Amino acid sequence: MTKPRRTLSARLEALGHWFFYVALRVFGQRGGYLLLYPVIGTYLLFGRGIHRQTRPYLRRRFPGHGAWARWVDTMKIVLSFGRVLVDRGWLGMCRGVGLDGELIGARELLDLIGEGKGVVLLTAHVGNWQTALSRINDLSVPINSLMHYEEEAVAKHYFDLRNEPVPFRIIKSDGFMGGLVEATVALQRGEVVTIMGDRYTGGPAVEADFLGDPVRFPAAAYSLASATGAPVAILLAAKTGRRRYRLEVRAIFRPEGGDRDRRREEMNRGVRCFARVLEEYVGEYPQQWYNFFDFWHR
Amino acid sequence: MGSVYAKGETIMEELKNKIKEVIVKDLKLQGLTPAEIDDDAPLFEEGLGLDSLDAVELVVLVQKYFGVQIEDMDEGQKAFRSVNSLAQFISDRQAP
Repeated sequence: MTKPRRTLSARLEALGHWFFYVALRVFGQRGGYLLLYPVIGTYLLFGRGIHRQTRPYLRRRFPGHGAWARWVDTMKIVLSFGRVLVDRGWLGMCRGVGLDGELIGARELLDLIGEGKGVVLLTAHVGNWQTALSRINDLSVPINSLMHYEEEAVAKHYFDLRNEPVPFRIIKSDGFMGGLVEATVALQRGEVVTIMGDRYTGGPAVEADFLGDPVRFPAAAYSLASATGAPVAILLAAKTGRRRYRLEVRAIFRPEGGDRDRRREEMNRGVRCFARVLEEYVGEYPQQWYNFFDFWHR
Repeated sequence: MGSVYAKGETIMEELKNKIKEVIVKDLKLQGLTPAEIDDDAPLFEEGLGLDSLDAVELVVLVQKYFGVQIEDMDEGQKAFRSVNSLAQFISDRQAP
């Protein structure tokens, strides 16, 4: 099968990534961080898109900020995201390097796994989530990740860059029934299934208030948990230093089983719980939530 | 010999009826009786109109009522096409 031809913009993007990868290989993580400044500066000065994309979140998170403060907020959040991407590339390109981190709530997580009903690990596009999540492979059961995965993506996962096996089993969200059947089967085997709670990719959605306005959150995770009896652990990552991350179990939610109506109520309850936890998180780490689009009006 | 086939067909019919009962009762399909479900009708979308949440529940119900767990996703996808294919899948897995 022949590969589809890339557009010019995709090729330019790929060239940009290649340039970063070379810089990382030669100059390491610091070199990648330094290269971020001119690139992001150019985007901020000459591109309107990045300001438009970050505005919906920043104006809700910092409602009192004026134009200049908003510009600085945009710079901080884009720089923060850039560093996460540099870390991912650095880990992929350079052998023998790594991040140090801690998993707060590991004992609780192991206890949940010990119950044998599987665990839904609900996470979000926060901090260095991809890198941090790939480090939790010592949980005694296989980890599955329900995600949109593109093998040909320009911004590759660090394990793809290293040509290493994927550290968890990927359940593709564009598979049969949005991957939910496969996820259910994994939970029935007592395994862990990670799901992004802040990005809608299909299936049921429920509205909840987030930073003062209603937003539709994906709700499949709670339905999965309610049907199988698996608990939901909300696990969020944060980049806490140049080479440090922190993963924390922020809340544990146990949906009640029952009939369909009951399960719908549990989806509502679960989404409200997640929205509250995410709000607390962005209160602590305002520059580490990376949904660069109008989250409230999708 | 004929009676063995007849017995097998009866068991299969009972299995299909049980599957239909479970679908209507546990998935709370309103305005539909088990007898109205066609053996070959697609379970999802244009057929019975089940969605991904129903699929999740169906996986759990198949294990609860028939003691069968879906292990291979290709097989599972085929099994979930219709009542007929689901009955065949359960029957194959229950066979000693």
